Amino acid sequence: MKNILYRLDLKGSPYLYIAPFFVLFGLFGLFPLVYTAWVSLHDWQLISDTHTFIGLQNYRDLFADDSFWNALRNTGQIWVLSTVPQLIAAIFLAHVLNQRLRAATFWRITALLPNMTSVAAVALIFGQIFGRDYGLVNFVLGLFGAGHIDWQAGTASSQVAISVMIIWRWTGYNSLIYLAAMQAVPKDLYDASALDGATGLQQLTRITIPAIRPTIILTVILSTIGGLQVLAEPLLFGGASPTGGSDRQFQTLSLYLYEVAFSRFDFGYASTAAWAMFGVIVIAAIVNYFFVSRLRRS
Amino acid sequence: MHTARSSAAPRRRFAAVAAPLLAAALLATAACGDGGKNTPAAGGKVDLTIGTFGEFGYKALYDEYMKANPNVKITERITKTEDHHKNLAAHLATNTGAADIESIEEGWVGQFSSQPGKFYNWMDYGGAEIKAQWPEWKWRQGSAATGEVIGLGTDVGGMAMCYRTDEFAAAGLPTNRDEVSKLWPTWEDFITTGQKFEDAVKAGKVKNAHFMDGPAVMYRSILGQQSVGIYDGDKVVVETNPGVKKAWDLTIDAMNKGLSAKIAAWSNDWNAGFAKGTFATLACPSWMMAYIQSQAKDSSGKWDIAAVPGGGGNWGGSFLTLPKQGKHPQEAAALAKWLTAPEQQAKVFRSVGNFPSTVTLYQDPVIKDFKNPFFSNAPVGEIFSKSVTSMVPQYMGPKSGDINTAVINGLTRVEQGKQTPDQSWAQVLKDIKAIM
Amino acid sequence: MTATVVREPDVERRPDRAGRKRRAYRADRRPRTLTYLSLAALVFFSGFPLYWCFVVSSHDNSVLGEVPPPFGLGPNLFENLSRAFGTVPFAKALMNSLVISGSITISVVFFSTLAGFAFAKLRFRGRNILLLLVIATIMVPNQLGIIPLYMLMAKYQLAGTLYAVIAPSLVSAFGVFFMTQYLSEAVPTELLEAARVDGCHTMRIFWHVVLPASRPAAAVLGMLTFMAAWNDFFWPLVVLTPEDPTVQTALSTLASGYVQDFSLSLSGTIIATVPLLVVFGLLGKHIIGGIMQGAVKA
Repeated sequence: MKNILYRLDLKGSPYLYIAPFFVLFGLFGLFPLVYTAWVSLHDWQLISDTHTFIGLQNYRDLFADDSFWNALRNTGQIWVLSTVPQLIAAIFLAHVLNQRLRAATFWRITALLPNMTSVAAVALIFGQIFGRDYGLVNFVLGLFGAGHIDWQAGTASSQVAISVMIIWRWTGYNSLIYLAAMQAVPKDLYDASALDGATGLQQLTRITIPAIRPTIILTVILSTIGGLQVLAEPLLFGGASPTGGSDRQFQTLSLYLYEVAFSRFDFGYASTAAWAMFGVIVIAAIVNYFFVSRLRRS
Repeated sequence: MHTARSSAAPRRRFAAVAAPLLAAALLATAACGDGGKNTPAAGGKVDLTIGTFGEFGYKALYDEYMKANPNVKITERITKTEDHHKNLAAHLATNTGAADIESIEEGWVGQFSSQPGKFYNWMDYGGAEIKAQWPEWKWRQGSAATGEVIGLGTDVGGMAMCYRTDEFAAAGLPTNRDEVSKLWPTWEDFITTGQKFEDAVKAGKVKNAHFMDGPAVMYRSILGQQSVGIYDGDKVVVETNPGVKKAWDLTIDAMNKGLSAKIAAWSNDWNAGFAKGTFATLACPSWMMAYIQSQAKDSSGKWDIAAVPGGGGNWGGSFLTLPKQGKHPQEAAALAKWLTAPEQQAKVFRSVGNFPSTVTLYQDPVIKDFKNPFFSNAPVGEIFSKSVTSMVPQYMGPKSGDINTAVINGLTRVEQGKQTPDQSWAQVLKDIKAIM
Repeated sequence: MTATVVREPDVERRPDRAGRKRRAYRADRRPRTLTYLSLAALVFFSGFPLYWCFVVSSHDNSVLGEVPPPFGLGPNLFENLSRAFGTVPFAKALMNSLVISGSITISVVFFSTLAGFAFAKLRFRGRNILLLLVIATIMVPNQLGIIPLYMLMAKYQLAGTLYAVIAPSLVSAFGVFFMTQYLSEAVPTELLEAARVDGCHTMRIFWHVVLPASRPAAAVLGMLTFMAAWNDFFWPLVVLTPEDPTVQTALSTLASGYVQDFSLSLSGTIIATVPLLVVFGLLGKHIIGGIMQGAVKA
């Protein structure tokens, strides 16, 4: 009897332990997903009760839609501008925090502070800072004799401003994840290198970074997935305007989706865009994974 | 094993205490949020919810109504304008969660009225008797293309032209509001006056200012004065309608002549612009007065209000609707009709300044004699009521809001130097096709 | 693969037997100028938006147009804070947010550790595919899920209750993935084998070995989850009503008004952010202590 129970426990408990995740996801994640796919095959206005089945027509329209490709391009550009500096800064920050510091808690909470501040307030403040006539950044530029930049109007300038917001918000978050991983690195490696005369920087690049490679991969993939879905920053930077600027210069995929769904109330088309976005994220994550895992240890 | 156990202990203790506490709190508070279901208890007590945004000024009115009707309890829900309409759409789509009375703003009413089946028809709830309270265009705005009346008008914006008397004086223009109104009976005259102003700026007589803030409001005002706008019936006629092109061309003309300060409405620069006098004129509906007063407190007395070129106009205003999900249409209809009745609209005007939509009030001293000291004692009551009554009714279809956004984006692109007017117009037409 | 042990950093430098002082250990290195500079920069960049919130909340709207903006606090802070509390049921909102975020955090950490343990240390058929599935679920953009999710809640009469806000977030794919990564390194397989030999069934192993070992990562995960739940905005806004708000939806009510009163909105933001700071400040030591310790190799 005991043997059977033991076998059951050994074979069955893993499934039991992962079951809650899949059950809850099935209910709250899968159902909306499948429903969205169903909706995308219809001409479905949000508040109307009648929907016509139109098959894949929405998808054909989407791939011919300039605004979609524009949003995709913008999303990619903002992603590059925001993710790369953010992760690099996060590693350095984690490196700095990974020392014997007084008031360790204080520094960690400070690092997390940008993530704690509500997005609406952040957007308001950065919108102010990047204002054309009275913004702080232009004020400082003016002190150096440079002219005022219309941050919202330009493509590059608006995307830079939004990327700054994203970097500001997520660097601390990622640095704490790196920090947790760095603390698992054994001291002997550092001792040995210190005896060999390694500098802090060399220790960072030759020991720490390779040692936390799995975590780096984790953050890259998560930042990719998150970065492709950025919505709040572009929405609020444009003053709650869903078009992302007069020329859609900073409209991301997520914002485009928001515009179609909640401004135009075109539920069917928005669902199509959502599935397209899902496809893009999957492809990007896979590509990213292969790319980062190819990075060799020194 | 020992270390593991001892470090497990504090965590387990924490979890052991926290979890049941949280569970208890959860049960307690979750029970309180019962989803707003109301079942009429014995004695016919009714719970009504009303969803609003911005500031409707109804708080005191609720108390008054509840005193007079003790079987009714009113709960108001206020959210930000964009969130309010987004949630309303979600609630209408899923047929749950809407309040008994939902307010809808002018910019969204076209979209919602395209689905009249989701609302009770006011004509079934005594609409015909009170129709005469409102101007024809307001009543039509609250109706679907197929004739169902879904919304009762609450306030209106009207349209006038606010201007800076100090900057006009510096530029050698008259400052008396009647003379100023005579300066621009048409929009072409407005542009000519603007050129005179800009010449004065170039000559150094006025510092750091332009004649107008940006293209958006001018375009909307001109468009609003045409008898046929974006929609002719249920067809979108932007491409062929000379009225729309006229609004476009005049605005482009104003931009080409350097009249614009190139500031986007509602941006931080725009807010700062009031205090700093960055633009000398601003097409202002009545609710803009409160906005200017809050952004530019120290400029009291430097502003005045003249008539808007081209006749009447309106920007803004809302409606009260009854979603069909509501369980108490009779009581809700009674409340909504009371809130929009002339006496109540007058009370709202006195307390928060929302301009009433009931035309019968316009002869009442409360409106007729109303002056605003911030704006050099301008008789704003008269000015705005004139603009409201001389307004031409224009049908705004479901996608008017998005189409207007596309056009205004087009104007902004020209202003930012990204495209020529013709290129931009071509793209506007393309964008509109995508919206349809 | 990196080491599987997290050791306590040396509390003090001890000369070795021969009396020679060893070179500074990496974890012992005294913070130098660059470190102090970086930390100062951290505080400045992380903190200034929140500081700006205080500045604007203590003046009134007109400061937004001033250039250069005022850098000191003004007189109206208390008045604006009281106004915020008076306009919107903030006390109730704080309570609701606490309940929601607390429940979600406990649930996510627990189920993530459970599933993470299974994926990291237990052997079962389909492990790799299922893990990949978990990662795939992160890629699902859940913006449009709002509509079908709302339909689901309405169907089961849960719309408007706190349950509706909590239920969809009870599990997190990020949590599972994060704990899987951490546990695969932090829990020595030998320990598990030893426990099995001792006759422990899986749940005992989980409770007595895995949970304690997971503390550092669980603490970080808990912190991040709590914060994310606290700042969640879109879903609570749709499914709850303003009479029963969370702090974020209360902020939306506060920001309503034809003329947005920024000093009022930002004082609301302060009310929304400060509890997070307090919670993390109080628990921080607990958390940081957890990060520094961990399962020790027997």
